Amino acid sequence: MSRKTKDFLIMMALGLCALLGAALLGFILSAVLWRGWPALGFDFLFTAPGKFGEGGVLFQALGTLLLTLGAGALCFPLALGSALFQTEVLRPGKWNDTVSLLLYSLNAVPTVLFGLIGFLVFGVWMDTGVSWLTGVLVLAVMILPTVQTAVRQSMQAIPESYQETARALGLTPWQRVRAVVLPRSVAGLVTGVLMGLARAAGETAAIMFTATVFSGVLFPKSLSDPALTLQTHILTLAQEAVDPAAQAAAWGAGLVLISLVFCLIGLSLLIRRRNAVEADL
Amino acid sequence: MRRLLHSEIDFRHPFVLITGLLTALASGVVVFLFLFLVIQGQPAFTRMGFAFFSGEEWIPGETYGAWPLIYGSLVVTGLALLWVLPPALGCALFTSEYLRPKARVAMKAAMELLAGVPGILYGLLGVSFLAVWVRDVLGLIDGNTLLTASLLLAVMVLPTIMTLSEDACRAVPSEYRDTARALGLTRAEVVFGVVLPQALPGIAGAVLLGLGRAMGETVAVMLVIGGLDRVPLPWYDITQPGQNIPSKLGREAAEALGSGLHWNALIASGLVLFLMVMLFSLAGNFLLKRKRA
Repeated sequence: MSRKTKDFLIMMALGLCALLGAALLGFILSAVLWRGWPALGFDFLFTAPGKFGEGGVLFQALGTLLLTLGAGALCFPLALGSALFQTEVLRPGKWNDTVSLLLYSLNAVPTVLFGLIGFLVFGVWMDTGVSWLTGVLVLAVMILPTVQTAVRQSMQAIPESYQETARALGLTPWQRVRAVVLPRSVAGLVTGVLMGLARAAGETAAIMFTATVFSGVLFPKSLSDPALTLQTHILTLAQEAVDPAAQAAAWGAGLVLISLVFCLIGLSLLIRRRNAVEADL
Repeated sequence: MRRLLHSEIDFRHPFVLITGLLTALASGVVVFLFLFLVIQGQPAFTRMGFAFFSGEEWIPGETYGAWPLIYGSLVVTGLALLWVLPPALGCALFTSEYLRPKARVAMKAAMELLAGVPGILYGLLGVSFLAVWVRDVLGLIDGNTLLTASLLLAVMVLPTIMTLSEDACRAVPSEYRDTARALGLTRAEVVFGVVLPQALPGIAGAVLLGLGRAMGETVAVMLVIGGLDRVPLPWYDITQPGQNIPSKLGREAAEALGSGLHWNALIASGLVLFLMVMLFSLAGNFLLKRKRA
């Protein structure tokens, strides 16, 4: 076999792998669309659920939004504050690395463990039972490393000359943060939060014991009420794999969930891309 | 104090205090989590001793041997790696070495979307398609097996491994490629003779991070692994149902709460899982960082 044929064959083989990757996304999307589309309709999207999983997913979708946005709102100040502390106050060195390592290691905690810990700490020790607030707390901790790392990296990427100019002008650290750091890293802030939200919106294991029920409530009325969510709704329905009606409802809910997650990720990709182009100019 | 902080920092300023408090809070939560795992899991280790790792019986109220769960976690993750490695690497190499910039960006965006598909949807796909296919193709009674779980995990971590490996390939300086091309090497020879060896540490890091992700995944695996706490007979028969640690936690946690040693044993296996994932992630991160420097 000549080198040229070999070259060609290898290119074809690698191309095939790439095709497989793209086909996988295509398959997943079309499977969700194909199975979920028939279930979708005005009634499905905008009515309250029935007792056994029939009926609409309005309140499940609202519950997912509530938990996701709550977690984002709780996580954001923590991520922003600690990222600012790490980049602007603490010198690079051992302590700084320790904080990074601690937060990074959160990524290695399997999400189901967050659920167990949240369950015992909030549900039992603090006696709130299964409540949406527990879910928000658990998810906020879970997405902390994603958001914090993105925010910190976008702050560290600010050119040193900007910081030096600000220092030379005699700005105090707080003035520097307002004039240079925050405006220059706003795109990283937004994309980091969006990626975190996308992670929280798709998470099931961390909230299945702590925050959600399958039926019995609609929207939480107090802090100690559980919520309905799309994720746990799908989980319960998927376990009744033989019932076609449950299957159809699960795929419908899946389609709604994946649209929500893709909107979040797509938005973050767009912002990152536009910003990257600006930075290149 | 002065050596820790930047020189111009006045540590009485509210900005410093507030961000410092937030950092302490964030780090404190993490420390608390780890202490919690150790303290809550420790009774299971002391009571069961080494039998916790080697025992094959898990009977709530009597004995807790986690070997089938650990075995399941290792086998499912290892097999997933085996399935995912060739296509993920091929995809990464093709995207970084052959595709034009526009197509490359589109491919990367597609992979990022794919990486964001919620685990529960993979579970649903697994239940409705993959488990049925495995059952029909292999002629099994039940499609929920270790093999099914490993295939599903392979699909789940493909985008993660692919994007990170692709980054590692892009990080190889283009001078190397130009030089090799100028020496008369064909494209494929450049890819396998120059780019791949240079990018190898980064790729290894990507694989380890993907491995960690696969190991901790719960809901998708829970739905298709079968949920049987035993090592298959013979041990290499992956077409039998099994169990891994996250799936066990997901199934039993609700009933085990407050029931003493049962709960401790679950947390202890969670701790074992966490340590394994941590090991992979740290090693992976180290390799990725080293490449960049």
